Amino acid sequence: MKSVRNLILFICLLLFTAGSLWGAAEIMPGKLTPTDKCPICGMFVAKYPDFVAQIGFKDGTCAFFDGVKDLMKYYFDLAKYNPGKSTTDIAHILVTDYYSTKLVDGFQAFYVIGSDVYGPMGKELVPCQDEAAAKEFKVDHKGAAILLFKNITPELIKTLDQ
Amino acid sequence: MIKSIEKQRNIIDFTLSSLWRRKGKNLALLVVYTLVVFSLGSVMFFTQALKNEAAIILRGAPEIIVQKLVAGRHELIPMASAQTIRAIRGVEAVKDRLWGYYYDPIGRANYTLMVPEGMDLKENEIIVGAGISRVRQVFRGNALLLRTYDGRPISLFIKGILSPESELLSSDLILISATGFRRLFGVSGDDATDLTVTVLNKKEISTIAAKIVDKLPDARAITRDEILRTYDAVFDWRAGIMIAILAGAVLAFLIFAWDKAAGLSGEERREIGILKAIGWETADILQMKFWEGTIVSLSSFFLGVILAYFHIFYASATLFEPVLKGWSILYPEFRLTPFISGYQIAILFFFTVIPYTVATIIPAWRAATIDPDVIMRT
Repeated sequence: MKSVRNLILFICLLLFTAGSLWGAAEIMPGKLTPTDKCPICGMFVAKYPDFVAQIGFKDGTCAFFDGVKDLMKYYFDLAKYNPGKSTTDIAHILVTDYYSTKLVDGFQAFYVIGSDVYGPMGKELVPCQDEAAAKEFKVDHKGAAILLFKNITPELIKTLDQ
Repeated sequence: MIKSIEKQRNIIDFTLSSLWRRKGKNLALLVVYTLVVFSLGSVMFFTQALKNEAAIILRGAPEIIVQKLVAGRHELIPMASAQTIRAIRGVEAVKDRLWGYYYDPIGRANYTLMVPEGMDLKENEIIVGAGISRVRQVFRGNALLLRTYDGRPISLFIKGILSPESELLSSDLILISATGFRRLFGVSGDDATDLTVTVLNKKEISTIAAKIVDKLPDARAITRDEILRTYDAVFDWRAGIMIAILAGAVLAFLIFAWDKAAGLSGEERREIGILKAIGWETADILQMKFWEGTIVSLSSFFLGVILAYFHIFYASATLFEPVLKGWSILYPEFRLTPFISGYQIAILFFFTVIPYTVATIIPAWRAATIDPDVIMRT
């Protein structure tokens, strides 16, 4: 009897750890196809692999952008670009790290503005995976400032388009 | 609709027989015209094919090559430098390369020796280019005898011959193992010929190149774009020489064509006069002249382009080999991969066919508007 209880306990434990592991690996990047267009500027995104960014929603849909600037415009005005969705529906935001050209978590990334690196849509927020990379990028490419995701405002995005 | 096509057919029919009546003159024009298109086309095809070949080869080239310099000359680079470069942010991988040249007194040519990446060669095994195989008459399974740096003979077994696909660079190539290479040239295990750097973000290449030179002041960093630009410049320069030489021929043709096209002969003016007298309209005569120009220029254009194509891609560009190639000795047979862009054909077309066709119309229009009576009396 005791062994049965132990077994049940063990199974529960196993399920729990598996669940938490599942939770840790929850970012499932949306798959980019050559026909995906940026909802802001209408350009094909796949042509600019160095700047691809994406917003994944909890219902499994995904929007792709050819730069963080357009992603932020979409993010700040979800009601206009994706009616019926709100920021709470967002499952993940992924941006392309400048140095490794791999997708990294957009909420955790460091963004450099005012640099001499331009994206397909002009002035950009260039994402870096960690702070050291962002600092080095800022020095190398004459960046103006390093921002966290929460520091980015609609007003700032407007200044990038001027 | 059918009627107008029928009319054009009749006009073309008449034009062809009219051209045939003056066959000596028109054939001469056709030949000269074809020659000009042929020479210009050959130069264009040849340089484009060379550039294309270089681009195909360089597509797999590393983003940055780092070489050590001593007194402005390329030297062996210590492998320890790879660690310094690897520490730079944005660098994906650093690999060392071993390559060099070997002068062979028997073949009387310089061979390029290279240690290939990811190829399993034993110490005494080599793979040779098709050119070496031809010159030294060695084939798969034979041994090639070379001399090491200190004069001892070393025999290397040929494991295979490289495919002739891109002979431009592989004709004089020997692929050898790293240990075999070090033994042949006496290169120590701590040194490499140069280092290649892979960079993930193409935008970062120039920044990384600058950082490498900053950290290794005795080295130079060559980016892939620089190599491509150099190739382009070299080929463009060679093409420039050819065009300069051909410029005389082109000018002579222009004068010839202008004379033929702009000044109508008395016979042709009479023909126009008679056609008008028997009821042809000015528009019909202009159409006839248009067809005449089109027939002559189009047929010489196509003939010239086809001949140039065969000259470059099947006859190995025999006519300008000495000028356009010639930076190595070992290219006994050399065939380029056929490559033609629509852009080239369009340029050639607009510089040869269009001006000629236009030039024939204006004098015909002038003659066609004069009273037929006046023309026939002169």
